[in-house]
Amino acid sequence: MRLFLKEKKKAIILFALIFFHLLLISLQVPLGDKENYFEKAIFSIFSPVQHGLVYFFKKVGDIWNSYFYLWEVQKMNIKLKEEMFILRQENNQLRRVLQRLKAETNVQEFITNLHNSFLITRVIGIDARNIYKSIIVDKGSLDGLKKNMVVLDKKGNLIGRTVDPISLKEARVQLITDIDSGVSVVSQESRAGGVLTGDGKGDCILKYIYPTQKVNKGEGLITSGLDHIFPPGIKVGKVVSITTDPSLFKKIKVKTSFEFSDLDTVVVISGESREILLENE
Amino acid sequence: MRNFVEISLGIIIAFFLYTIIGKVSFSLSQLLNFFTLAVIYFAIAKGEIYGALIGTVCGLIQDSFSLGVFGVSGLAKTLIGFLAGFIAQKINILPLIRNFMFIFVMISGEISFSIFLYYFISAEYVREITPLILFQPLATAFLGGVVFFLLRKFKVLGF
Repeated sequence: MRLFLKEKKKAIILFALIFFHLLLISLQVPLGDKENYFEKAIFSIFSPVQHGLVYFFKKVGDIWNSYFYLWEVQKMNIKLKEEMFILRQENNQLRRVLQRLKAETNVQEFITNLHNSFLITRVIGIDARNIYKSIIVDKGSLDGLKKNMVVLDKKGNLIGRTVDPISLKEARVQLITDIDSGVSVVSQESRAGGVLTGDGKGDCILKYIYPTQKVNKGEGLITSGLDHIFPPGIKVGKVVSITTDPSLFKKIKVKTSFEFSDLDTVVVISGESREILLENE
Repeated sequence: MRNFVEISLGIIIAFFLYTIIGKVSFSLSQLLNFFTLAVIYFAIAKGEIYGALIGTVCGLIQDSFSLGVFGVSGLAKTLIGFLAGFIAQKINILPLIRNFMFIFVMISGEISFSIFLYYFISAEYVREITPLILFQPLATAFLGGVVFFLLRKFKVLGF
């Protein structure tokens, strides 16, 4: 027996590893969107390393820049940029929501909550398998991030939502270009509602639009809020092509409003304002 | 102990390069697979068991940084690590061109196997394959061939 084990050691190890992986896959498939603790553990171990590396190189770059430029001016510039970033987000949300709010007291409360709920995060990693699926950001559960928080770009366009795993200082964001993502949207002119999903190649597809429903090429799409994840009125994308096929629905291709090249800093809507935004639909 | 330090360092370097390249260019991160290069390098240097074990570790790290089924890259890299180590002991793959071809075939095999697995789990995932991924074997084999060649030269020189 011992001789047999010694002779077949390599094959036994290989089959044990294959069995381990198959077990891992088969355990995970029925879990679907639910949290996988093993994956979370590996993510929690390695994401701080990634965070540290990005932070280190950013710091080195910052020192280099600060040496050559007036660093006080640069600091002020960074601060102003961040302030502008938040103000732009606030402005976008306020314009839309203020019209809906009735009482003046609500307005004041809403403004206070809204200001505190924008969390500026830096993108520290991209998806290893497909860049259009997800990104990793440098804020985590310690900063108040939870699953299903809305993520926007600098201009307030929808990027995606936070998903598991979320570690202490890092979190994953599922992009709207992922084929597994789903956003309830409505067209701005014709008010046709459907579900937007990613095509996995950087664009999106608008699903469940009947041939009788009118949607125009070039028309903008915004979130409808019906999914109870994304607040209504956020810019999502633009219709670029409409085709018909033998299926029941139209085939509509959508170009996202956010640019991949712009994904260095993003903003997460956290806290109560998201609930207010949803409630005010 | 020395093996453990060498392998850990190799994996950390692969992870470091994966992180940096992701920040530099999205497209490059799709073209170059540093984790598979680390797996093949150690499989050639240390044999099929090490190849399989390093494949498991690297694959699971890659899986944890990707939305999708956790374990698919792990399984694909485990098999590639084992296969690379096994073939490297039977055939001399050290000459530059042969090395390039070997890495090219291994990475093509890994991608094909991953696609097959994803298709088996859900045909939807196959839609996600970007054209850039199909150039990954070529780009990574080119880089790997040059890097492995230089590493061997450095070793000969006693570094």
